[in-house]
Amino acid sequence: MDGVHDMGGMQGFGDVVRPDSDGAIRSWELRVFALNMLSGIQGLEGGPGFRARIESMPAERYLEASYYERWLWRVEQDLLAGGTIAPGEVEDMMERLRAGEAAPTSSDPELVTRTVDELRKPYPLAAATSPRFAAGDRVRVRRMRPATHNRCPRYVRGASGVVHAVQGEDRLPGAPGGGPREAVYSVAFPSAGLWGPSGGGTWTVLIDLWESYMEPEEGGDG
Amino acid sequence: MDDHDHNDHEHDHGDHDHGDGGHHPRPASDAELRTRALEALLVEKGLISTDAVDAVVEMYEHDVGPQNGAKVVARAWVDPEFRRRLLADGTAAIAELGFGGAEGSKMAVVENTPSVHNVIVCTLCSCYPWPVLGLPPTWYKSAAYRSRVVAEPRAVLAEFGLEIGPEVELRVWDSSAEVRYLVLPERPPGTENLTEEELTALVPRDAMIGTARALEPEAVR
Repeated sequence: MDGVHDMGGMQGFGDVVRPDSDGAIRSWELRVFALNMLSGIQGLEGGPGFRARIESMPAERYLEASYYERWLWRVEQDLLAGGTIAPGEVEDMMERLRAGEAAPTSSDPELVTRTVDELRKPYPLAAATSPRFAAGDRVRVRRMRPATHNRCPRYVRGASGVVHAVQGEDRLPGAPGGGPREAVYSVAFPSAGLWGPSGGGTWTVLIDLWESYMEPEEGGDG
Repeated sequence: MDDHDHNDHEHDHGDHDHGDGGHHPRPASDAELRTRALEALLVEKGLISTDAVDAVVEMYEHDVGPQNGAKVVARAWVDPEFRRRLLADGTAAIAELGFGGAEGSKMAVVENTPSVHNVIVCTLCSCYPWPVLGLPPTWYKSAAYRSRVVAEPRAVLAEFGLEIGPEVELRVWDSSAEVRYLVLPERPPGTENLTEEELTALVPRDAMIGTARALEPEAVR
């Protein structure tokens, strides 16, 4: 869906990127990260998938939330959707902790091993079996207004590019349970084709796109 | 963090900024309490264990971080055969050093040269090569960086103190699928006599994102 998460090229988020704003990750944020990983590993979730869920966050809330506040909201929504927790249970526990109750703790060495193994496990991107395009082909990104999760940023739609490489094959994002498998390409776009003339010189944006996001450019191959 | 008392993970690390890079430190935020409550709830239900949460925290605090990427870069600087393999198949070459896993399904390494400069972003979320760089820094996740670096990269890089001349071919890689990018920075001059291990100290995280250069030896002496 075309939400505020699709930020490429937007203006108004401030003129200065502040490299010095890089405070170390806080301990609660790392625990949110860990809860997200464990919830997935333990199969506790329902819902549309990680990114689709985050993108369904109301726009004003998305912009207001910090990165790990989004992750916290995401995991809670998907635990609710999976029936793992019931509405109100988190709030009840917050009340108990606020009243001074000690949080329960537990140990499960088997889960520790399985979790670490899972996070270290490679899940290689499959090789493309029958890619429609090849490196060097001229392509044009389709116009679209997707209703569901999608990984084709607005700023490349309608633009012409050149296939830089065939990256592999992956499920098309957005369909419940995973869409059809498609080739994924790295596609190069000259800056002027995306943004018009710029006082900042020229550059190339290379972005990874699923095959069905693109059509052959007039006069190109494919 | 060396104290892993399970009931004490709400403590903060002192005086650093809030994780979202804002200017408004929030004391014992709602998010923090909510996180504790969610963990407590899942532990109470027997669905996860405290030590499994601790293990993930430990892993990304100590084992998975930019120190891994620095080892990859230093190896590429001293070993031309490794460098060739790294540029041809990043995932496989990185696995030779024992790194891989979550958010590393396909890692592609892009090389900076005197005539080409690469920089990495994820405009749609904050995709990042965890196995070699760990979890992304705050600025990488910021709306300002995500929105601007594809549309005015030289201005953004200048804010990091990096001037990229008009004669340099500038490539901005937007990680919109499952490929994760790592920049191989140029080896600084005057490093011919350094060992591979000494070279790792010259590779800051930002040099592997493309918002900085590798350090010259004087800078770390």
